[in-house]
Amino acid sequence: MKERLLAAVSGARSSYAEIRVRRVWSSSVLVRNRAVEVAGSATRIGGVARAVSPDTGWGVVGFTEVDRLEPQVSLAADLAAAAVNRRPVLLAPIPIRQLELADVLQDDPRATPLSAKRAIADRLSAVIHDFDRRIVESRVLYRDDVVETWLATSEGAWLHETRGETSLSVLAVAREAGNLERVLGTWSGKSAGPALDGALPALESVAPKAIERLHAVPVRPGRYTVILDPAAAACVAHRIVAHLGRTTLPGADPDALPLGLRVGPECLTLGDDPTAEGLRGSAACDDEGTPTRRTILVQNGVVTGHLTTRETAARTHLAPSGHGRAGSLHAAPAPRAANSFLAQGAGTLEDLLRGVGSGVYVSDLLAAEESGGNLTLRAGSSRAIRNGSLAEPVKGVQLEGSMLSLLGRVEAVAGDFTWDSSATRCRDGAAGVVSVTAGAPHVRLMDVPVSEGMP
Amino acid sequence: MIERLLHAVAGRVAAADAVAKADDTLTVSLDDEGRVTVTASRSEVSHLRIAGDGKVAVASSTDPSPLALAEQALADLPEGEDLTLHFPAPAPLPGVMTRSPQAAAAGPETLLSMLRPLAGRLARTNRRVEVWAERSLGLVRVGNTRGVLAEYEVSTIGIGTMIESIGAGAAPPCRLHVAGATMPSMVEVETLVTEADRRLAPPPVESGALSGRMPVCFAPRALAILLLPLRAALLGHEALLGRSPLRGRRGEPLFDRRFSLVDDALVPARPGSRPIDDDGVPSRRVDLVVEGRLAAMAADLRIGALAGVPSTGNAWRQAFGPPRVGFTNLLVRAGDGDRAALLAPLAPGLLVEDLEWGPGPNPLPGAFMARAPWAYLVEQGEVRGRVESVSLTGNAFDLLGRVVAIGSDATWVGSWCAPSMVFDGVGVVVR
Repeated sequence: MKERLLAAVSGARSSYAEIRVRRVWSSSVLVRNRAVEVAGSATRIGGVARAVSPDTGWGVVGFTEVDRLEPQVSLAADLAAAAVNRRPVLLAPIPIRQLELADVLQDDPRATPLSAKRAIADRLSAVIHDFDRRIVESRVLYRDDVVETWLATSEGAWLHETRGETSLSVLAVAREAGNLERVLGTWSGKSAGPALDGALPALESVAPKAIERLHAVPVRPGRYTVILDPAAAACVAHRIVAHLGRTTLPGADPDALPLGLRVGPECLTLGDDPTAEGLRGSAACDDEGTPTRRTILVQNGVVTGHLTTRETAARTHLAPSGHGRAGSLHAAPAPRAANSFLAQGAGTLEDLLRGVGSGVYVSDLLAAEESGGNLTLRAGSSRAIRNGSLAEPVKGVQLEGSMLSLLGRVEAVAGDFTWDSSATRCRDGAAGVVSVTAGAPHVRLMDVPVSEGMP
Repeated sequence: MIERLLHAVAGRVAAADAVAKADDTLTVSLDDEGRVTVTASRSEVSHLRIAGDGKVAVASSTDPSPLALAEQALADLPEGEDLTLHFPAPAPLPGVMTRSPQAAAAGPETLLSMLRPLAGRLARTNRRVEVWAERSLGLVRVGNTRGVLAEYEVSTIGIGTMIESIGAGAAPPCRLHVAGATMPSMVEVETLVTEADRRLAPPPVESGALSGRMPVCFAPRALAILLLPLRAALLGHEALLGRSPLRGRRGEPLFDRRFSLVDDALVPARPGSRPIDDDGVPSRRVDLVVEGRLAAMAADLRIGALAGVPSTGNAWRQAFGPPRVGFTNLLVRAGDGDRAALLAPLAPGLLVEDLEWGPGPNPLPGAFMARAPWAYLVEQGEVRGRVESVSLTGNAFDLLGRVVAIGSDATWVGSWCAPSMVFDGVGVVVR
C-alpha cells in the first residue's frame, strides 16, 4: 500500500496533494431486555484525496474504490482547478515525518469470537434485570473497531498505524408508580482485555442508580453553588475546547475567543493533549501528517491558543497544533478536539464542599448540548449540598448558559484530576464523528442558574 | 453484486436478502471570503441479511468480494437475533420519479453558478454568509432469495446557507436549506432568500411580561421539530418495545380532526421517494393519522414479524448499522389559513420559525422544553420583532388536540412537508 499511495501523490498536478486510506473492521452486539437484537460485523475501506494550489481552492475526493489511487488524486486536482479562489489557500509548514506504527494490537478484538462478545452483553443485561423487579428496560451495546490508516502527502510525509477501540454502553430504566428513571453508563478502552473487566462493576451500577433515582426529589430551581464531579467537568471542558477552541475555522466568529482575553480565574487552565498516552484521541500525527502537540487554550484564565489545521494555522499565524482530524472515511481534516482537559488545581472534594451552605453536586451528565455559544447540561445523578456535606439525591438538574459565562463562574479547581473513560464521541455535522477523551478534577462554580429539566 | 451475494449463500441458509447502495456526491461550498471548496465522494456499500434455524444475522461491507461478506454473515448467524423472517415475493413496483437528468448532470461549475448569485442575494453589510450546494447520485439494488430483484436510481440536489449576523442585538446563526430530486427552481431559491430576510430583519423587542400560556404559530421548520414525539411514537419499533404512548390506540380520536399525517414514498422527486423499500417491499402511501385518528404505524419486515403485522414498506439499511424502520416522506395535510388568518389569533402570541429540541430529553412522552431562538412577538396580526431567550414548554400530543388554525403554506423541508400550525395554550418562558 505504501508504494501505491506515494506513487499516487508524487504525480499530482497540484502544488500540494495528500491521500489517506482507512480500513475499519467492526463488530457490535445489541442486547435489549435480555434478547439479542443485533449481533454482527462490518468491514469498510475508503479514503480521501485532497489537492490544492496557491491559486485554487481545495479539491476533495472521497472514495471506497481503492484499487486505483492515482485517479482519485487526479480528480482532486481537477476539482481544485474548478474551485477558483479569490483568496489563496496557504498551508503552514510542518516537520515531515515517516511513521510506521502498525504494531500488533494487544487483545485484538478481531481474534475474539462474536459469541464471547455476546456473552459479555448477555451477562450485563441479566445483572441489570436481576437487580430489582422495578428495572423494566435495559439496553447493552457492545462495539469494537480496529482501524488501519495509511497517509501520504506530496511533501513526503508518511503514516501507517493500527488502532483498536472497544466500548460498552449500558442503559437501565426503572419504573415505579408512574415514575420513570433512566441511567446510562459507558466505558471505552483500547481493547476488551482486563480493562473491560475492571469497568464492569461501574457499568452494572446503572441499575442501583436508576432505582435510587426513583426516590430522588426534583431539584428546586434557583441559583446555586455547583460542584461538578471530574466526569461532568471533563464533559464541560471538552465542549468548550471543541467549540470555542476552533475560532480559526472559516466562518467561525474570530472574536469568540481571541488571544489575550481573560475568560476565567487564575485557577482555570484548559487545553487539549493528543500526545497523552493511550487515550481515545491520542495520536503521534494528525490526519494531515502534522506531529501532534499539547495545546493550551486557556492558561490561568487567559486565552493563549487555538486548535488548528495547517490551513487555519497559516491564516492566523499560529503554529500547527496537530488537531486536523477526519470525522469519517471520506471527510477532510478539520480542527477537532482530541483529549481535552481542565488542568488540576489543588485540594480535595472536601475542600470544595467546605463553606458551601446550599448547592448541587453533579456526578454525571446525561446530555450536553451546545448551540450558538450556549451550553445546556442535563445531569443524571446529582445530590444536594447542605452545610458543606453531600445530602439527599436530587434529579432533573439542568444547567444552562453561555460557555464563557460558565468559565467565568469557576471559582475553585481540585487536585484530583482524572481522565474519563466514557465512550465519548464528538459529533460536528458534516465534519463527522471523532473519538475523544476528556479529563478534569472536581470543579466548583458559583452562582449558577439551575432549572428542572425534562426527564 | 446482489446476485452474487445471494448466490454465495443459496442453499446454505433458509433465506436471504441483500441491498447494494452506490452513491456519488458532489459538494461545493463558498465562504464569506470567497473561498471555494469542491468535494466529491463515491461509495459503494453492500448489505447482506441471512435467516436460518430461527435466527437472523446481518453484515455489511465496502469490499466488492461477495464471498467475504457471505462468510462473515454465516459466521455471525449462530449469535444472531431469534427471529423468523418471511421475505416478500416479487411484485409489480409502483412508478415514482426519483431522478432528474438535469440534477444528475450537474457538475462543479453548475453548482457554483447557482451559489454565487445566491451568496450575492443574501449578502448584507451586517452578515457573514456561507453557501453550499450538494448533488447526490445513487443507485439502489434490492434482492432476495425468493426472486425479488429491483433497482432504481436517485438524484438529490440541495442548496443551503448559514448566515451569521454581526453587531449588537445580532440574531443567532440562521441555517436554511432546500433539497429535492430536481434542480431547485427560481421560486425555491427566492423563497429561501425571503425566509432569511423575514427571520433576520425584525429587530429584537422587549418581551415585557410575556411568559405564560398563549397561542403560538409554528412555521413549517419549527413544526418539524415540535412533532418529533409524534414521529417517534409512530415507529412500530417503539410500539413493540411498549414505549410508544400510541400503542394499542389505533382508530381512536387522539388529535384535532383537522390533523392528518401521511408517509408517502411515492411523492415524486423528494428525498425519501422510492419504488421499493430496503426489505424488498413495494412502496405505498401509508396513512398514519387520518382526521385525528391513529391509522397505522411504520413497520418493516422485522417489526412486522415480531408484532404480527404486515410491513408498511418503511425499511432502511443504514451505512454500517442494523436494518431499521423509518419514514420516507412525511406530509402534514395543509389547511386553508393564509398568513393573516394564522397571525390573527395571536393577540398577543408568538410566531416561531425554528426550534431547538434541547439536550436529549426522551421525545416519546411528548413533554418538551425547547429553546426557540427564532421567536417573534405578534400583536394585532403584526410581527413586532424578535424575542430573545424564549423557551417553549408543553406536551406535543396535547397540543395536537388544541389546534387553532392550519395554514395553506405547506412547505418542503427535506423529506418533510408541512404547513404552519397554530396551537393554543403553549407554555412560553422568557428568561
